[in-house]
Amino acid sequence: MIEARNLKKTYHTKVKKGLFKREKDIVEAVKGIHLKLEKGQIIGLLGINGAGKTTTIKMLSTLIKATSGEILVDGVEINENPLKIKQKVNMIAGGERMIYWRLTGRENLWYYGQLYGIPDKVLKTRIDRLLTLVGLNEKQNVPVERYSKGMKQRLQIARGLINDPDYLFMDEPTLGLDAPIAREIRTYIKKLAIEEQKGILLTSHYINEVEALCDYIYILDHGEVILEGTAKTLSESTFETKITVLELAEMNSEIEASMQRFAVEENAIIHRSPDAYLIRFESKNELTEALVKRIHSENLPLSKLYVEAPKLEDTIIEISRRVNS
Amino acid sequence: MKHFIKVVRAEAHKQFRNKIHNVWVVFSMLIWPILAFAAAYFQFKPFSFEAITEKVSYLNDESIITYIMIGYFAMVFFRSFVQSAWEFSSERIYGTLELIYLSPASRIAIILGNAIASLAINVWMFALFMTGIYILFNQVPLMNGAVLTLALAMMVLMSILWGMLLNALFLFTRDSGMLFTVLEEPMELFAGVKIPVQLFPLWAKGIGLAFPLTYVIKLLREVVFLGHNLAEVSALFYTCIFICTIMFVATVFILKWGERHNAITGDMALF
Repeated sequence: MIEARNLKKTYHTKVKKGLFKREKDIVEAVKGIHLKLEKGQIIGLLGINGAGKTTTIKMLSTLIKATSGEILVDGVEINENPLKIKQKVNMIAGGERMIYWRLTGRENLWYYGQLYGIPDKVLKTRIDRLLTLVGLNEKQNVPVERYSKGMKQRLQIARGLINDPDYLFMDEPTLGLDAPIAREIRTYIKKLAIEEQKGILLTSHYINEVEALCDYIYILDHGEVILEGTAKTLSESTFETKITVLELAEMNSEIEASMQRFAVEENAIIHRSPDAYLIRFESKNELTEALVKRIHSENLPLSKLYVEAPKLEDTIIEISRRVNS
Repeated sequence: MKHFIKVVRAEAHKQFRNKIHNVWVVFSMLIWPILAFAAAYFQFKPFSFEAITEKVSYLNDESIITYIMIGYFAMVFFRSFVQSAWEFSSERIYGTLELIYLSPASRIAIILGNAIASLAINVWMFALFMTGIYILFNQVPLMNGAVLTLALAMMVLMSILWGMLLNALFLFTRDSGMLFTVLEEPMELFAGVKIPVQLFPLWAKGIGLAFPLTYVIKLLREVVFLGHNLAEVSALFYTCIFICTIMFVATVFILKWGERHNAITGDMALF
């Protein structure tokens, strides 16, 4: 498990004030973050304003030193034995950087494998397996410059797995990819966590991606975790009201009047959908039980009844609205 | 050690593949040194060497071609490292520098691999060219073969260490592009590639002392033209070894300090 305790990072920068003058500036990028990442788990980092996601990832991966706080990787403090920690982690970023375009896919993997000192036989087998995993077997001897965006991204994933890391940090892994390829990459990511038991920390601007992949989410704002939990618990703690959706097989003025009365009795707000047979009740409590009773007593033609969970995107928009106001 | 060698080999292979993607690239590398050499030779040709011979006994009408060639031969070694170090800073732009730092690979092995690739790419063509010129002009100077071999080995060692030092500097800071400007032309001038250092005013001699290339050229010329034995050039050899030690220690220090500094500032991804 990777565990970050009270992680802080302060940058001392110099801001240009004219040609020769510079002023010192202090930027608190991360202000006391706590987080945990277990093997086989995917956690998401979502940020609102200059959140400190990238700085956090870089601290966790040994690239940047924390100003204070503690990072434990499988119980070992990150600064105690950085070389050992480096064998256990790797990073995958979106975009087309971080690979050598003039080298072939196989050569790229071989090069990075050598950096980790992997024995030749093991490396060869691993490269073959990774190329198969990401579907680049046929193009393995083609220079990367001739790869499509999706192929480059798949090679990035293979590159990030070359040292068989226990923990992977993925920074916008589907950035700029077409929807079908992005979906393919998401399938790989899920597979890595479930089948290969990799602990994955994911940052993404695609909230649907985070919602689909992450078991647990941290929402950062100005270097602080302002909310954390599963997508469901996040929305529950963000929205005070619940939406109960009733779909009927038919609609008439009598039923409509009955539903209006029900809303008044239950202190709920009615949202009529353009679809005439669908009514949304917004209230502090779930109304399913009360609605079942009403439907039964008035013998209404029920088609569907369910509670609508807010999407993570709605949750983030709501949190962002609150933070900015 | 096995890991160290693997990294050196991988880095050299990567750099080689990165730079040589077309056989014409290799040939084009020969063009600049040949033109520069020819320009220097024909600039000197019309002048009388009488005054110069007073200060540099072995420099005359006949030896000028060998004299300049030795300067350029050594220069190609050193210059190729300045260029390769400058190119190495592109790792920062492509984001691959972060991945190198993320790995447990020895940083010394990385820059050594890069330096070796540069050596292999740039030097063989010029060596070929030099051999051709020797045959063409039928100039086989009086020299001590064993000492010449040692001097050449010293040249390779010093140029590799020079390359490693520059790589470390270019890795350390993203604003090191100015080093390229400072080291390219001034090194050629002050190290005595074309003009004998003995003719320089004192201040220019002082600048020349800052470049390891100055000592290598002096060593090679003394061995080639004066046929000096090991005892006669021992002081120069010791000076070179001392400079090598300083360069190596400085490289290790800059690499360690630079990585620590980058980890604090987070600058390694900036470009």
